[in-house]
Amino acid sequence: MNDAQRFDLSRALVLTGFLLYIPANFLPVMTITITGEVEPLTVMGGVWELFDSGLAPVALIVFLASIAVPLFKLSAMGWILLLHGTNLHRPARMALHGFLFRIGTWAMIDIFLLSVLTAVGQLGVLASVVPERGAMFYAAMLLSTLFATDVYKPWLIWQERNLQPT
Amino acid sequence: MESSVVDPPSGREVWLVCPRCHADCLDRDLQPGQYLHCARCGAEVKSPTGGPRAIQAAWAFATAGLLTMIPANTEPILKFDVAGNFQVNHIATGVEGLWNQGFEPIAALVFFSAIAAPAIYLLAVWYVSALVTLRLRWPGRRLFFAVARHLEAWNLMPVFAVACVVSVVKLRTLGEVTWEPGIVWIALLSLFTLLTIQFFDRRFVHVELEENP
Repeated sequence: MNDAQRFDLSRALVLTGFLLYIPANFLPVMTITITGEVEPLTVMGGVWELFDSGLAPVALIVFLASIAVPLFKLSAMGWILLLHGTNLHRPARMALHGFLFRIGTWAMIDIFLLSVLTAVGQLGVLASVVPERGAMFYAAMLLSTLFATDVYKPWLIWQERNLQPT
Repeated sequence: MESSVVDPPSGREVWLVCPRCHADCLDRDLQPGQYLHCARCGAEVKSPTGGPRAIQAAWAFATAGLLTMIPANTEPILKFDVAGNFQVNHIATGVEGLWNQGFEPIAALVFFSAIAAPAIYLLAVWYVSALVTLRLRWPGRRLFFAVARHLEAWNLMPVFAVACVVSVVKLRTLGEVTWEPGIVWIALLSLFTLLTIQFFDRRFVHVELEENP
């Protein structure tokens, strides 16, 4: 992959990520059923539920990890790409890119959480956890962000002029 | 940060390329324990190698990690109990559940990142560090070294361990949850993998593989 392709692919992945962010957060990610009560859970709904049950610190952590951080990462990567080819804020862009790369894999925590919770799904009629459509959007969004950061290498920040899109 | 513009070795100018920002950096001889940093972005351009002892440590921790991986995958992680109906969870239980409910891509993703990638990474490091330590020239060493380099960023066992803790907080609202020994093995596996990454000295391995035939 050459440098121009890296830039293009990263930009495409960031846009994809922004589009996927909407269904990922507003479609139900899983449905939790306890003794007949059906409860579809969106990511945001899960945060409210934790907050209402008195677990405000956990609610805050889940809010930061699942909603705020993905949006921050997409925006930060978008900013880095927007300044591509200019000489503005280069050290800041380097630092931000390094930071995004280091925290990148922690985004997988939501996928693992879904996996551990889904394992309960086989518990029969009393209680079940079933993944829903939103989970697919969520996983796709996380992967788009992860690969957008991975594909745009830090040395591209130092390139002098805008690369012609292919 | 040290300046990179100091006496070039043996009076001849040798330029190195910064691995992070691709700036040209003037090479120089290093005292033991010294680093050569990129003047533009501060990344390490040249660092002292840990020598054979670090690779032996990486070999040991990779062995420990591979052995720990067996109970981490076969022992149950947690037990979930609702009104007498209970279920024990393994790492693979979630993968199976996602697969059976039509979420094959997510199941594959979890299988790759929580089971396959950690195993392949540790196997690759184990093989390469064994060959370097024993000075063997067996086939596939370059392939396994490349695999180890690429999978290093996919060390997701600590992330999985934290996900288990968060899931327990969530499941407590539904029923009775108890920890099982599997979580201890997962924590140990995370630790051994981190130590393996720490001691697996890529520069030393690269020199051993490429320059000492």
